[in-house]
Amino acid sequence: MLKQIILNLFGKKPALGRDAIRAMSGDVAGEPGASGPARLDAVFKRSIRIRQVDAGSCNACEWECTALGNPIYDVSRFGIDFTASPRHADVILVTGPVSLGMAGALKKTYLAMPEPKIVIACGDCAKDGGVYRGAYGVLDGAAAVVPVDGYIPGCPPNPAEIMKCIMDILESAAK
Amino acid sequence: MHPENEKYIELSAADFPRKCAEYSRRHFLRTMFAADERELDGYFRVYAVFSPMGEDRFDILTMKLREDALAYGSITPLVPAAHWYEREMRDMFGIIPEGHPDPRPLCLHGIYGDVYPLRRDVTTDDIKKSVDFSREDGYFFMRVKGEGVYEIPVGPVHAGIIEPGHFRFSAVGETIYHLDPRLFFTHKGTEKLFESRGFENGVELAERISGVSSFSHSSAYCMAVERMAGMDISPRAKAVRTLVIELERLYNHIGDIGNMCAGTGFALGYAKGAILKESLMALNARLTGSRYLRGINVIGGVTRDVFDAADDVISTLDGVKTGFKHFMEFLLDSISHIERLEGTGLLSREIALKMGATGPAARASGISDDIRRAHPHLSYGSLIFEAHTYQKGDVYSRMMVRREEAECSFSIIDSLIERRHEGELRMPAGKFPAGGSALGYTEGPRGSVFYWIKASGDGSPLRVKVRSASFCNWPLVSYAIHGNIVPDFPLVNKSFNLSYSGCDL
Repeated sequence: MLKQIILNLFGKKPALGRDAIRAMSGDVAGEPGASGPARLDAVFKRSIRIRQVDAGSCNACEWECTALGNPIYDVSRFGIDFTASPRHADVILVTGPVSLGMAGALKKTYLAMPEPKIVIACGDCAKDGGVYRGAYGVLDGAAAVVPVDGYIPGCPPNPAEIMKCIMDILESAAK
Repeated sequence: MHPENEKYIELSAADFPRKCAEYSRRHFLRTMFAADERELDGYFRVYAVFSPMGEDRFDILTMKLREDALAYGSITPLVPAAHWYEREMRDMFGIIPEGHPDPRPLCLHGIYGDVYPLRRDVTTDDIKKSVDFSREDGYFFMRVKGEGVYEIPVGPVHAGIIEPGHFRFSAVGETIYHLDPRLFFTHKGTEKLFESRGFENGVELAERISGVSSFSHSSAYCMAVERMAGMDISPRAKAVRTLVIELERLYNHIGDIGNMCAGTGFALGYAKGAILKESLMALNARLTGSRYLRGINVIGGVTRDVFDAADDVISTLDGVKTGFKHFMEFLLDSISHIERLEGTGLLSREIALKMGATGPAARASGISDDIRRAHPHLSYGSLIFEAHTYQKGDVYSRMMVRREEAECSFSIIDSLIERRHEGELRMPAGKFPAGGSALGYTEGPRGSVFYWIKASGDGSPLRVKVRSASFCNWPLVSYAIHGNIVPDFPLVNKSFNLSYSGCDL
């Protein structure tokens, strides 16, 4: 233990490097030129804008999406960004089981997006209601309101998993 | 029958308001709620949980109401902190607080029909059938009239990656005169769902009520069930919970201080905070398998002994501690950032006290109230620490309270690791006594979290009341933002860092 403390005091080790991200979920974040950016190149010319809509999530999925923008995951290096307006969005990323109060707002956000548009349901709640399935105030997943192109499993999926799944879904949507 | 520190005081509906007013002078109103107990004794009940300042006791005032006479004199005019609780009871049970100053619904939006979801004879299907998405929403916002006053509607979908809610600002030029928030867009029917899941399966739901308070919610829930069943979990399980609650506080407080930088457009500060937060999240994942500390609490204890990984905790926290120290020095030296925080979003002690503020928001306004000290539970009784208060009640104070509490969490974790903790990780769940009830509570990163549970005649959940810190603190944002400029709203809002999902349920 003492050795650890001393090592920590004097060693210079980054908090969480790219290796750590890759270790968390395979070849996820990757180096520039690896599979991820190459795929994105083909589909969206290295520019993806995502509009995130919380449809009743517990907020864990949102924090993981927020983390994608931090200096450790830094998705903007791949040309991916979260946008403030659905008018600028290529992808709508839905979280939460779709509470009744948010159903209308989710639909409106979807309709406000330009074509082509891709819908991704992020997290177990958005997939089928998750732990909230069957509650009186939810519609048991995003598919009840918008046509879903792909799902990201997890409760919540971690940032690296979200990245990987977004790339996979975009690739298959481009086919 | 009841846990030792809970004292139930039965009152008539006529005496209830006066007694509540009397209690509110020297007690904190912790929570207030109703329960449909007709299957037990034919009555609805209203409970108001008070705790005396400086004593580990809960005085729970309660009254019975007959099904055909569900009205009583509102206590809100006398105890303003009750204002949302009473509106909630009106929506969910149809119990009318006569003379309540705000006639608007709170939890249920216009799409819901004429149903009272938490009545026991109302089924999920009944509620779903009542829903009509085309129904006109009769909600009205508080209007400010006068020359030059205009309204800014925002939400429910916001520009950032955050939760949904609607804010109606009445502004004069750049200055906000009044903010009327309309929340409960994420109302999911959580409390009703608890009733159908059974006590043991409620843990995973409690963990998902509010993302970054997962562990404090599941701890308070487990504690309520364990107290009801008369289970005393081992010192080792208690120590694990205590340590993990402090880890949750750490990543929240440090993350919140970083997020406040986003409120002032201070990108470097935000980035530094996010890096520190990320190393804490990665530690969470290594210790518990979940970045949000899920899956470790169970009824009767915990699933893992995080002390097995004490070396990892020590070495990671050493790094974060040093990083956090430099981070705070960096922020406090950044005049452009600090100038925006000082004097912004003032919440006076008087209003915080009257409206029932909790957590860092209350302590930054000079209210020395911390559930860890007021009602020692888990391992907190054997730890020495203070409730950290600031007097001014501005954004700066809320940041500094978080800083001191984060430093305090580091030392709590250190002293927990130094000791030995004996006992089983998890004890078998006892029987849930018919008609039993208990409170569970803890101090989460946003403030106090309370659960009150009651079992029905067959030992299944009759009522699970969730009271998150955000439910208490949301109404305070309107007071804090009064007189500030519109661009400071995100900053003031971030300084409270409230949960929508935890409030809307």
